[in-house]
Amino acid sequence: MLKKEQSDLLTLTGPGTPMGRMFRSYWLPALLAQELPGNECPPVRVKLLSERLLAFRDTNGRYGLIDEFCAHRGVSLWFARNEECGLRCPYHGWKYDVTGQCLDVPSEPEASGFAGKIKLKSYPLVERGGVLWTYMGAPETQPPLPEWEFITVPPAQTFTSKRIQESNWLQAMEGGIDSSHVSFLHRGDLNSDPLFKGAKGNQYNLSDSRPVFEVVESPGGLYIGARRNAEAGQYYWRITQWVMPSFTMIAPRGNHSVHGHFWIPIDDEACWAWSFDYHPIRELTAAEVAAMQDGKGIHVRCEPGTYRPVANKDNDYLMDRAAQKTGRTYSGVEGIGMQDASLQESMGPIVDRTKENLVSTDNGIIMARHRLLRAVKALVEKGVPPPGIAGEHQKVRSAAIVLPPDQPFKEGAREALIAKPAVAPASV
Amino acid sequence: MLSESARMTSSAELRFRVQAPNSTGRATAIIALDAASETVVRRLSTLPWNHATFLKALDDPPGAEPAGGEWVADLAGQPSRVQDEVNASDQVILVAAAGGRARAAATIGRACSLKRVTTTALIVGASAASDSDLSKTLAQLRPWSLMVVIANTDDYVADMMAALRV
Repeated sequence: MLKKEQSDLLTLTGPGTPMGRMFRSYWLPALLAQELPGNECPPVRVKLLSERLLAFRDTNGRYGLIDEFCAHRGVSLWFARNEECGLRCPYHGWKYDVTGQCLDVPSEPEASGFAGKIKLKSYPLVERGGVLWTYMGAPETQPPLPEWEFITVPPAQTFTSKRIQESNWLQAMEGGIDSSHVSFLHRGDLNSDPLFKGAKGNQYNLSDSRPVFEVVESPGGLYIGARRNAEAGQYYWRITQWVMPSFTMIAPRGNHSVHGHFWIPIDDEACWAWSFDYHPIRELTAAEVAAMQDGKGIHVRCEPGTYRPVANKDNDYLMDRAAQKTGRTYSGVEGIGMQDASLQESMGPIVDRTKENLVSTDNGIIMARHRLLRAVKALVEKGVPPPGIAGEHQKVRSAAIVLPPDQPFKEGAREALIAKPAVAPASV
Repeated sequence: MLSESARMTSSAELRFRVQAPNSTGRATAIIALDAASETVVRRLSTLPWNHATFLKALDDPPGAEPAGGEWVADLAGQPSRVQDEVNASDQVILVAAAGGRARAAATIGRACSLKRVTTTALIVGASAASDSDLSKTLAQLRPWSLMVVIANTDDYVADMMAALRV
C-alpha cells in the first residue's frame, strides 16, 4: 500500500513534478534510430514526460528533438518540409534548425533580426546502439552518454523493439521486478518460446514452483534474487537487475540472449515499453532475430507501421478462453509481453495503490518504491543526483547461477553482475 | 464501438470502482533476533501501527522449561512462548543485524512452518558488514524465510511494514 500523495509523487512525471525532474536527470530512449532512417526524412511526433515534441534528421544528418508546434500560430511542425538544414512550417514558411532556433521568418525583413529572437524548446538527441537518446534536464547537469551494454556491443549482437503501453510507467515497471508472477502468468511459455526453451535453468524453474526471494540494494537500484533448489543442497539463483528509475534486466537462460526493458513515461497514462535482447559474446542468429521481430520472447508484434500491439485493449487482447482452459496460456493472452501488458492496463491508467494488499513476496516492489521516494526527495530537497546516472551503475548484467546455500548471492555473483566486454554472461 | 476492455480501463470508469474495504488487518509479530536489531525494533514500536506486536528473542528465562531458545519477550521483558506468539500472528517479520546472532530464527521458523505463517527476514546494517558476517546471518535465516531483504538503511523496515498494512 502507498498513500495517495506518495503514489502521486512517483507516478506523475510532467514538467514541474518531482518525478518528472528525476526522469529529466537521465538520458532516456526516445526513438529507434530506424524511425529517422535518412537525412531529410519525414519528422516523427514524440511525446515524452507529457511534452509534445518532434524529432527530425536534417540535411546534414544532425538529429533534433524540438517543441512540436510552430512559435508563430501553433501549427504542428509534423506538417513541415524537411529541407536545407531545417524544418519549414508550411503555413507561413517559418524555419527551425535542430536546436529549435528559428532561422527564417519570410514575412519579416531579414535585417530585422526577428528570427533570432524565436527559439523553440529543444533537447539533445543522439544515436547510440540503434536507439536515439535524449536528455531533457538542465544543460549544466547533462550526464555522460548512456553505457548500457546492449547499446555498446556490435550491432549484430543486439536487437531492440518498443511498444506503447496504455498505463502509467510505474505499474509497468513494477511488473518487471515482480519475479513472483512468472510461475503463474508465463508458465506456459518457458518450454515453448524459441527464445527461452531448452535451457537447463528451465528445469529448476519447473521443478520448484515456489521460489524464495531475496532483495538486496545495489549501487544503482536493486538486485532481486529468486532462489530454487539445485543439486547437492545448492541453490539456483535468478538475479534480476533494476537500475533507477526504470531499467530492468531479467536473468538469462542457457545460451539464449540476455534481455530487459526500459519503461519511459509518454504521459501519466501511457508509457513506452522498450525491450532489448543481446548477447555479450556472439551475434544473434537469423532465427533469433526473426523470432524477436515476430513478437516472441519479451517482444510484441505490433500493428504494421505503428508501435501499438496487435493484441490490444480494443480487441480484448485477442483473449482465447479455450487456450486458458487447456493451459496453453495461463491467462488466455498470447505472448509474454502482452500477458504482462494486458493485466497492467486492466488496473486502469494509474492503479489505486491505496487499495492494494501487498504480501511478503512483493518486497522487490516495496523496496523499489522506497528507493525512488528516497532519491526523489534527495534530488528535490538537496539537489543530489539520483542513482543510475553513473556509467558504473549502467554496466550491469543479470545472472543465473548456482551457489552454495549460505553464500550471499551478491558476493557469489559479484563478477557476473558486472558487464565486461567479451565475457560470457553467467547463465544456466 | 470500443471493446469492453477499452471502455473499462478508461479514466472515466475509475469512479465506479468499489470503495468498500477489501481486507482486514493481519496480526504481525516483529521479532528482533539480536541486540543490534532490538534497537531498530524498539524505535519501530514507538510509531503508530494497527496490528503489530513487538518482541525480542530471549535466552531461556530462569527456571523455564523446556530450554533451547523457545522463548521470546515483549520489549518490557515479559516472556512468552514462541509458539503462542506465532499462533496469534498472521505473519512474522524477523529482524536481524548482519553478523548478529540469529539463533532463534530456527525455533521461530519451525513454529511458523507448523502454523503455515509467512516469515519475512530483514537484515539491517548490511552496508557496514563483511561478506562472512552476512553469510553467517543468511545461513540462519534462509531456511526459514519466504523473503529475505538486505537493506542498507534501517528506515526500510518501517516503510515495508506500512506497505504491508501492519
